[in-house]
Amino acid sequence: MGVKPTQPSQREGLKQMQVYKNKMDQQKIQNKKTSLPPLGGGGTAIKENSMILQKDMLAKQFNELSRAKELGKKVVYTFVPGNLTELILSFDLLPVYPEINALQSGMRKKSAAYIRDAEKTGHSEDVCTYVKCDIGMMLNGNIGPTGEKLPDPDLLLLSYTGCFTFLKWFENLERLYPGVPVAMLHTPYQEDGKITDEMVQYMVRQLETEVIPKMEMVSGKKFDKSRLSEMMKNSAKAEDLLVKVLESAKRKPTPIDAYFAGVYYIGPIFTAFRGTEAAVDYYTELWNEVQERINLGLGPVTPEGELNEEKYRLVVEGPPNWTHFREFWKIFYDIGAVIVASTYTKVGGVYDLGFRHNPSGPLESLSEYCMGCYTNLNLPQRVSLIEKYVKDYSADGFLINSVKSCNSFSAGQLMIMRQIEQRTGIPVGFIESDLVDPRYFSYANIKNRLESYFQMLEQRKIIMTQGV
Amino acid sequence: MNKNILTIGIDVGSNFVKTVLVNYSGNPEVLDKHTEKIRKRNPSVVSEDMIVSMLEKNNLRYEDIAYLASTGEGDLVKRKRGHFYGMTTHARGANFFAGDTKTVVDMGALYVRAVKISENSRVLDYKMTGQCASGSGQFLENISRYLGLSIEEVGDISLQAHNPEISSGICAVLAETDVINMVSRGISTPNIIKGIHLSIAGRIIKLLSSLKGESPIMLTGGMALNKGMVQAIEEQLKETGKNFIIKTNPDAIYAGAIGAALWGGYRHIRLSEKTTTLSV
Repeated sequence: MGVKPTQPSQREGLKQMQVYKNKMDQQKIQNKKTSLPPLGGGGTAIKENSMILQKDMLAKQFNELSRAKELGKKVVYTFVPGNLTELILSFDLLPVYPEINALQSGMRKKSAAYIRDAEKTGHSEDVCTYVKCDIGMMLNGNIGPTGEKLPDPDLLLLSYTGCFTFLKWFENLERLYPGVPVAMLHTPYQEDGKITDEMVQYMVRQLETEVIPKMEMVSGKKFDKSRLSEMMKNSAKAEDLLVKVLESAKRKPTPIDAYFAGVYYIGPIFTAFRGTEAAVDYYTELWNEVQERINLGLGPVTPEGELNEEKYRLVVEGPPNWTHFREFWKIFYDIGAVIVASTYTKVGGVYDLGFRHNPSGPLESLSEYCMGCYTNLNLPQRVSLIEKYVKDYSADGFLINSVKSCNSFSAGQLMIMRQIEQRTGIPVGFIESDLVDPRYFSYANIKNRLESYFQMLEQRKIIMTQGV
Repeated sequence: MNKNILTIGIDVGSNFVKTVLVNYSGNPEVLDKHTEKIRKRNPSVVSEDMIVSMLEKNNLRYEDIAYLASTGEGDLVKRKRGHFYGMTTHARGANFFAGDTKTVVDMGALYVRAVKISENSRVLDYKMTGQCASGSGQFLENISRYLGLSIEEVGDISLQAHNPEISSGICAVLAETDVINMVSRGISTPNIIKGIHLSIAGRIIKLLSSLKGESPIMLTGGMALNKGMVQAIEEQLKETGKNFIIKTNPDAIYAGAIGAALWGGYRHIRLSEKTTTLSV
């Protein structure tokens, strides 16, 4: 028996919600018809239009990559943090991001075999599993996430930010693809917690003397600064929209999960689409969907369904585990925990602190962008950012997922945890897993640890309302 | 008609299922208790069998129980009325053993948790051993099996040690390798066992120190019955210069089940009050 609303506004609200729910049901049916693979493997996941849009974008991108040679397109292998996507696209080059391939392999349960093959060739167990997964994938024919073959690189663009393993990664790729030129862009670490004019000039000089000449050589095209500037207008538009989406999590209930769903939201802008109209369209659609959820007072969409009761609001530090992504997310869903802010969704740019790509100084802007990415911040900056998130997003707790592979993230995390505990007084938690090596994901261990943590959050809520 | 408020607490652990029957009226008391090793059986079936036998033994029907509360892997208990988290039940159980308990150390098969509690057994803060298993009861059981001992024996044997040999306190695999090496070097069994206890105790002291745990400390869970373990914790605590009172209870293994039964009684009364208010 339903409740009869007496106020016209209530009736209207329920009507709108019903329309929305019908739309979601139709969407589920459509998803089944199109046989979309669900997140992380099993079961049918709910997908919103923006997710379908993103999937189409990725399908086109990987299809184009698979036909790169016949299309006469040149290919650049590069990295996500501090990427130069607009510059690459301005030369009509096609970017490939090995970390994305690795995480996709992780989600598709292929990483274990790839890592094993890389270890057979001599890589130690302690080497980053993104590297080993990527190398294993190449050793197995370099078949990408859509099942199509990825083209060999024409240029290795080593624009690394905050991760020195990237250097060794591309040394390995250089051996796997002998003769392919390497363009190296050194990004100075923000040791003193700021970006100086000298640091910007240092990077611009590298772009002008090292990166751009090699791109011109590989593409056979002259650098077109005005084209780059035009693309950056699109970048800034998409960045504005992404920030709106991420900051919507300040609301109660949050309409989004800023970690598990957040990794999808950052997809286009952190990879091959920043600076394109497709990215602006995607973020416009996404923002519309989020606004609709806000208007209806709905919680986040998860693969298990909508989260109806927001019990705990968390800030999370560290990348997710990709091999058990859905199981990992479900532990939070089952308990009613939602992530309202995460640092992982800032590895490709901390846009919510105000940075935007600037068309009037494109090379300077790219330099500042590279230096501003999350893992290029020093530890005090990271602590301050997390503290800000805890306060701005009214978080009940702070959780670290410390991954074995990633020193850029994991070094200093215990100090970060203690600092956040002291500064904010909220319960902190620490769990350990890995990016794409399933051997380091112990479901029982993580569940035990998270359950203890959630118990602490619940007790704290009781104490806050009833006293000790 | 029985006017007593009878509750059952059932704690489904990874090795054992523990059940208690509690009379919650007035000063709560434990009327009956039982432990059963799971031994590769379905824990859900073991739990149900234990509920049935506890009811039969006490001439009770399921309807006579005001609240059947689970803790631990409570999803496996089909006939539960409610579930309580392990940390809260151990806190309540420890408070039942000694009302002045300020810190609980729950030493289970898979991990050790140190929990700071209030006078009303509310959890104020906690720390847990890291992912590695070298701080857990299962690890101790594996080592004792390797040495040809039963888990019940290790406590007394540990007390016979004169010159304990310390093993790795970080990694269970390394510790096992250490033990194999010690056996081949002719180290006596009591000295090996005491070394293992000291190594686990070292991790517990670290937890207590980062938690800023306060005295008195109540040890709960299966390992709390191990005299050697308790002695090792006391020795290590003395070395830190802290004069903590360490308490145990013969029913330490039932702390979670007792806590569940007591919280169950509390919830039953709260729910009855609500119903009464609504009907008025």
